[in-house]
Amino acid sequence: MNQACAPSQLAETAETRLLPAELGALYCAHSRAIYYLALRFLGDPQKAEDATHDVFLKALRHLDQFRGEAAARTWLYRIAINHCKNMRQAWHERHVLLGSESDFCEQAAGGESPLRVLETKELGARIQKALDGLGAEYRLLLLLVSDQELSYEQVGALTGQSADAVRGKLFRARKAFATLFAKTE
Amino acid sequence: MKQQNKFSAAQHQEQAAQSQAAGSGSGGLEFQNAEELLRHDAAQTVVPPQIAQRLGQSVAQSPPPRRPWWRRLLG
Repeated sequence: MNQACAPSQLAETAETRLLPAELGALYCAHSRAIYYLALRFLGDPQKAEDATHDVFLKALRHLDQFRGEAAARTWLYRIAINHCKNMRQAWHERHVLLGSESDFCEQAAGGESPLRVLETKELGARIQKALDGLGAEYRLLLLLVSDQELSYEQVGALTGQSADAVRGKLFRARKAFATLFAKTE
Repeated sequence: MKQQNKFSAAQHQEQAAQSQAAGSGSGGLEFQNAEELLRHDAAQTVVPPQIAQRLGQSVAQSPPPRRPWWRRLLG
């Protein structure tokens, strides 16, 4: 019998009820966060779907390695980040791209001004376009920091840096994102 | 520490509602920074139900997972 999802989590569906109890509980609690990270990091709904499936399957297969020392979400994020990076790397190897990924960093002229959105219909596409303009590091950083369940320390642990480094890079990532987002109008 | 600086979910929802209300007057939304915008986007994102379906099929075809060592220890 599967555990019921809490109201704040993904609603239990006929599909999630078919999953083993441990996986069903993990899926209800974290699938939105993992799918969103994959979607915006990879920029492709089909790849995000594949990645989310693979991440939870890996999690189930390696449940014995999860000792409860880290939060389940941090553990799943670690699997997801590695998986998504591998997917991107494999894609880049198949599609020979000349030049480096457009790494939009300090040249961003944007400030800390609020991000105004008049038309929400195309919001997802605008966000994706702005994220695609960032380097992978800034993109991942913004996506992880936007998850309120993660502390800067946890984001730092997931990205291999200190919490102070996260704070410093976050400032620049915000500015770069704001500039890129404004250009998508 | 970030968790201390972060809003609680309730505070965030309240602020998001205020932002939306403030934005709706001028025909749009306003977000203070990228994270706030991404949170809004994440909340609007629907996880495709076919993922759970595929997962169920994959699990059915897989050997049963090993139980964590601490579960095996505790019985």
